[in-house]
Amino acid sequence: MTVTDPTMVAGPRKAPPLALGTALWRLLRDIVLLAVAMLGVSWVFREILANATSAVNVEESFTTVIADTMIFTLPFALVIVTALRSRSLLKNRRGLIIGITMLVALAVQTISVGQQALTQTGAYGTQTSVQFTTEQADEGVLVTAIEAGGAAEQAGILVGDVITAIRRDVVDKAALDTAILQSDDGAVLRFRLLRDGEEQQIPVTVTSISGVNTTSIYMGYVALFVTAILALAIPFGWIPYVLLISFLMPLFLGYAWLIIATFSQRTEGLLPVDTTGNFGGLTLDNWSFLSGQMGARNQLDIWGVTLNSAMIAVVMTVIVLLVASMAGYALSRMNFPGRRGFLSMTLILHSFPAVTLLIPIFIVLQNIGHIPLIGDLFGFNTIGGVALIMVAFELPLGIWLMKGFFDGISWDMERSAMIDGATRWRTFFEIILPQIRPGLLALGIFSFLGGWNTYLIPATFMVGTRTSNLPVLIRDLTGEMQPVNWNQVAAVGLYQLIPILLLFVFAQEYLLNIYAGGTKGSS
Amino acid sequence: MQVDIQNLTKKFGNVVAVDSLNLDIKSGEFVAFLGPSGCGKTTTLLMVAGIYKPTDGIMRFGDVVVNQLQPRERNIGMVFQSYALYPHMTAYSNIAYPLKLKGISKNEQNIRVQRVADVMGIGHLLDRRPSQLSGGQQQRVALGRALVKEPDLLLFDEPLSNLDARLRLTMRGEIKHLQRDLGITSIYVTHDQIEALTMADRIAVMNQGKLEAFDTPEGLYERPKTLFIAGFVGNPPMNFVDVEVSQNGAGPVATNNDLKTHFTIDQVEKVLAHKGPVTMGIRPEDIVVDDGSDIRGEVYLVEPLGRDDLIDVRIGDTRMLALSDPKLKIQPGDTVGLRFNPERLQFYDPQTNQSLVW
Repeated sequence: MTVTDPTMVAGPRKAPPLALGTALWRLLRDIVLLAVAMLGVSWVFREILANATSAVNVEESFTTVIADTMIFTLPFALVIVTALRSRSLLKNRRGLIIGITMLVALAVQTISVGQQALTQTGAYGTQTSVQFTTEQADEGVLVTAIEAGGAAEQAGILVGDVITAIRRDVVDKAALDTAILQSDDGAVLRFRLLRDGEEQQIPVTVTSISGVNTTSIYMGYVALFVTAILALAIPFGWIPYVLLISFLMPLFLGYAWLIIATFSQRTEGLLPVDTTGNFGGLTLDNWSFLSGQMGARNQLDIWGVTLNSAMIAVVMTVIVLLVASMAGYALSRMNFPGRRGFLSMTLILHSFPAVTLLIPIFIVLQNIGHIPLIGDLFGFNTIGGVALIMVAFELPLGIWLMKGFFDGISWDMERSAMIDGATRWRTFFEIILPQIRPGLLALGIFSFLGGWNTYLIPATFMVGTRTSNLPVLIRDLTGEMQPVNWNQVAAVGLYQLIPILLLFVFAQEYLLNIYAGGTKGSS
Repeated sequence: MQVDIQNLTKKFGNVVAVDSLNLDIKSGEFVAFLGPSGCGKTTTLLMVAGIYKPTDGIMRFGDVVVNQLQPRERNIGMVFQSYALYPHMTAYSNIAYPLKLKGISKNEQNIRVQRVADVMGIGHLLDRRPSQLSGGQQQRVALGRALVKEPDLLLFDEPLSNLDARLRLTMRGEIKHLQRDLGITSIYVTHDQIEALTMADRIAVMNQGKLEAFDTPEGLYERPKTLFIAGFVGNPPMNFVDVEVSQNGAGPVATNNDLKTHFTIDQVEKVLAHKGPVTMGIRPEDIVVDDGSDIRGEVYLVEPLGRDDLIDVRIGDTRMLALSDPKLKIQPGDTVGLRFNPERLQFYDPQTNQSLVW
């Protein structure tokens, strides 16, 4: 026997490595295709769709945003695709893979810079300037050089002047540069400066010059090379996670902002800042509503509102679970006249949007309100009434959900229990219900969240001076009559989120747990 | 406890699932309900259990008419095909559940569960959940749960169908042994004739809601009362040939276009008295390969069964399954001679499907 090629014997056969020429050709093809596709999409959105939608007259229209996003992400997409494709096409030629990727990164950025230079956009765009250079000094901003014939020279600024303020606003170098860049062409800035220890005020006319923002060009190169290195280094298995995380990032950032905002006076992006715009400004003021103080003016019964929210949620959960589980059981297990009709009717009821029923419900609640005793609990403008309506809206879904869970339990289970000596009720409570615990929990959580977060029904049916529940309170906070304190809104929102977060932390194990059955064949 | 079933009928809408069934099960007897899927055997069992209410007929446990009794009032134990163990309870709680429902004290429960568990050999598994048990162990727990309340009647609904072949063999022996030891009247539903033949004292063969026969395993096998039983019981199945019977010089003879065979069974005269064609049945093991025979055919297929080869022989238009000695090394395409054991032939009226020799 001759020695066989080990690759032919062991393991699944892998495709033979591609010839270098073929691999490079495919790589080139993919890169070009991607570039053409993205540029094409961008062009279509900018030139065709933008014109078609121009009647809407939105300044920053949806279509331009997409077109710009395409252009902005194109270099990154090209580099990433080059890295990933060359890794899979060229397999073990590591030097070549890195070389090609780096080359593409270099080329793409160079082309992009060249294009900006030609069209005088991006880093090559015009910017406003007073044509001097400065550096930060102890007393203020020290002028170190002045361009001949420039705006600063014309205004009479000399090397060695120390700029302290623009009008009355004290500036450092960063603020000064920002102020100049943000001025319009021809605007006049009144510099307050120290010359030989004397304070002077000199107006300078800002002019527009075409300049090169070299920093942004270098940053572009750096960003692309970092991207290339990351794309070359990450294991293929991580790619799904990287994609997932990048898509979920807005959500994470949103929650991060929510939490940060509640403890800050203001926020600059995700950074907490104080009223003057400096980092800091952490405060618990936004949470003062917990003590019943809403801002400086309003008193508020926060615990009453919370209790209302909780009561709607709890009453709803209890009733929905009780009724839906029993109705679901009956529909799944028993045969009675009108069963099919009942099933289809609940399905139709489920698809009714609440808004369409507001007025009929109002009439119903009003009439309930006229019934002695019951009316005080479940009539118009009561928590009970709101809970009743919410239960009615939740029940169809709940019944169907429960029926589905009961359908999944074998008849043998019940027969067995009844032969063992249980009554039908005992079978239901001791044998069947425990087996659909995940379903009960899911429905319970749905109902609780539905009741806790409900806005439309309490906002409509609990009116007047009584504050109803937390969502309605948040709506009231964003009313038009006063400036909105968004950080306080965030705090109330986070407060409303707390029980939900707790619920998920403790219940997710149950929700994720697929209940292992004792019946053969059920997994 | 004896079980007496008279004219038991169950209809679902217009469908007759069980059609006036009569059965008399003796105390301590092990009875199997055998039949193909949908023949009504499980429906009958569920009526005995009290899950279904009979449309018509009377069921007696001992002297008591149980038609209107709830399952829990019947003192029966049942083992299901799916085992139907309660997944949220441990094996112990599963077995103890019937006792708990009876209101028996915790101490007594404990004693009885332990006793049953020891009998079933699952004493060390009692704190496990059903999902942590193997199929065979689940089966034992289910059996323990059925036995723990010391039922008057034990019902089995295809309890071994979900086990692998080897375990099925073991459990078969154990269930039979247990039933004999405890002397509990038992009804065992199965579509597997081997189970029925090996375990039961008597077998009720059902077909399309009707009782075809209620007889001992030997009786069913040796003297099948109807064509259905003859074809259903026994593996490989009995061969059937349409023949004319007549008397010639050498004795009674059965003939058709393809073959001719003498027969010497009891009650020959009943067969000969029948006018017109009859269906003759012969089991594969009663056919001998004999090249001296006049009945010759071509071998179409050979299936090695280990001890024997099952050969499928075409004699003209007639197909015959026969068992042959593997040493003969019969190949498809060979021409072989077949001889029928003249004492082992069965005859049926093709109109009524009833045996002519009963």
